[in-house]
Amino acid sequence: MAAGKVGRGDMWFWALLPSLATLFIVFGLPIVDLIYTSLHGMAGPAQITDRFTLENYSDFFNDTFMLNILGRTVWLGFVVVCCCLLVAYPVAYLLARTSAKWRDLALFLITASLLVSSVVRNLGWFPILGESGLVNWLLTSIGIIHTPIRMVGNFTGVVIGLVHAQLPIMILTLTTVIQRIEPELEEAARNLGAAPLEAFWRVMLPLSLPGIVSGSLLVFTLSISAFTTPAILGGNSVLIMAIYVAQQFRTVLDYPAGASAAILLLVTAAILTLTAMRIRARGSEHQ
Amino acid sequence: MTNRHILTAILIAALIFLLAPIVVVMVASFNGGAVMSFPPAFLTTRWYHEIKPIFYQAIWVSLLVATGSATFSVLIGVPAALALCRGRFPGRDLLSSLCLSPLMVPTLVTGVALYQCSLVFWDFTGITIGGTLFGIILGHLTFGLPFVIRAVIAGHARFDRALEEAAQNLGASPLKTFRLITIPILRPSIASGAAFAFTMSFDDVPIALFMGGGDGATTLPVQIYTNVQYDLSGDVMAVASLVVVVSLVVITLLNRLAGSDLFFGAKQ
Repeated sequence: MAAGKVGRGDMWFWALLPSLATLFIVFGLPIVDLIYTSLHGMAGPAQITDRFTLENYSDFFNDTFMLNILGRTVWLGFVVVCCCLLVAYPVAYLLARTSAKWRDLALFLITASLLVSSVVRNLGWFPILGESGLVNWLLTSIGIIHTPIRMVGNFTGVVIGLVHAQLPIMILTLTTVIQRIEPELEEAARNLGAAPLEAFWRVMLPLSLPGIVSGSLLVFTLSISAFTTPAILGGNSVLIMAIYVAQQFRTVLDYPAGASAAILLLVTAAILTLTAMRIRARGSEHQ
Repeated sequence: MTNRHILTAILIAALIFLLAPIVVVMVASFNGGAVMSFPPAFLTTRWYHEIKPIFYQAIWVSLLVATGSATFSVLIGVPAALALCRGRFPGRDLLSSLCLSPLMVPTLVTGVALYQCSLVFWDFTGITIGGTLFGIILGHLTFGLPFVIRAVIAGHARFDRALEEAAQNLGASPLKTFRLITIPILRPSIASGAAFAFTMSFDDVPIALFMGGGDGATTLPVQIYTNVQYDLSGDVMAVASLVVVVSLVVITLLNRLAGSDLFFGAKQ
């Protein structure tokens, strides 16, 4: 039996080979090529020199223009995470603690909104947020404002679009985490005389912290790596890392600059994702 | 119970926020006045008659790309996932992480990397991959394949190997056991991975933008994205509404067939 297993085990490696080879060609090689480009100078539009250099990276961190892009990207991720947390926590708490009939419907609608094409969802914000759109129409009708507020083609538009894209993910992550916390713990705190807010602050929040942290890291990573939503709702005026990278490859044709920014984005996203996975794994070990 | 009322109010507000753009796209597609103004001045169905042929072509390209990448992902991804679960070769955990690693990389980065690599490949061989349908399919394998592998590995964790042993004890050949026991048991996981690969392919802009763009190689999301930037007319809203209707039908069907954790299975 044992000998047969080893023989079969070797056979299994051949079953893995097509996938490994495919991923090596469509993913491994291109990423290596991108790293190679990021370590060489620019020899003209869409051309790179043969000389090895680290200048692209040192230039990045010495240029205030680039540091502004980096800062704007981090700030965007931070704002999106905060907005998502503020809305998602109460929603997830309610969904985790109720057994009402509408619970499944609510979960279905939340998942469904996640699965409708992101381009289409972005498109839907124009008639809502545009200068002659729904929100401005409502606000001017009531008389709160007299001139329309600009909410698309700027930072606000990108934040709204990204919160819309990430909110379902945050809600679903937090619902799973809160469900695992026994309601009895909260009741015990209340019975021992804690006010609702105190019970939340001293029992629920610490217990759901791993979920909050891993959900936030996930949403932050997805927000700083997003391209489609910032490109459509930012109208190319919100220069963040992803937009900068795309511009270098599509219009500016400075491949080394684009490649080094892309690699920095890749490394950041990978580190954050691994951290989130580690926190989540440790959280489920404790349960 | 006022706390509960506040929570319910937040939930309803969140649902309205989540569904608003989807509903608005559909209403705006019947807007007879300026496309971007809301509420509509008057209603019309003219945009549906005026959908440009490039959009129909783009829908066709998207369907081909999504079907092609999802099918290929299943064909080579399922054996790979089984190998990662059952094989006894060295470095299995490392290979497993390697197979899933593309999911950690922003698709924009994968897109520009592929684009650049296709230029280098063209330099050396004279073969064009960038800007073709085949190029987009290759690009979408970077997430389709890991999605399928991850879903099948997750499904395999709940797999009861005793069922296979029973079949073999009853005289079934290994191939017959595989066909009649293994595959049917793993079918929901495979379907979930394939559905996720298909949906993400139909949703993707960055990879299709960098790898496509040539003749007959513009996917629907890229076409809509281009139109939003240069020429946003009512027919774009009409196309988008059609996409919403189709997505809702597909989502409802999947929900009926496999329950709401169909996509969770793939996402965990």
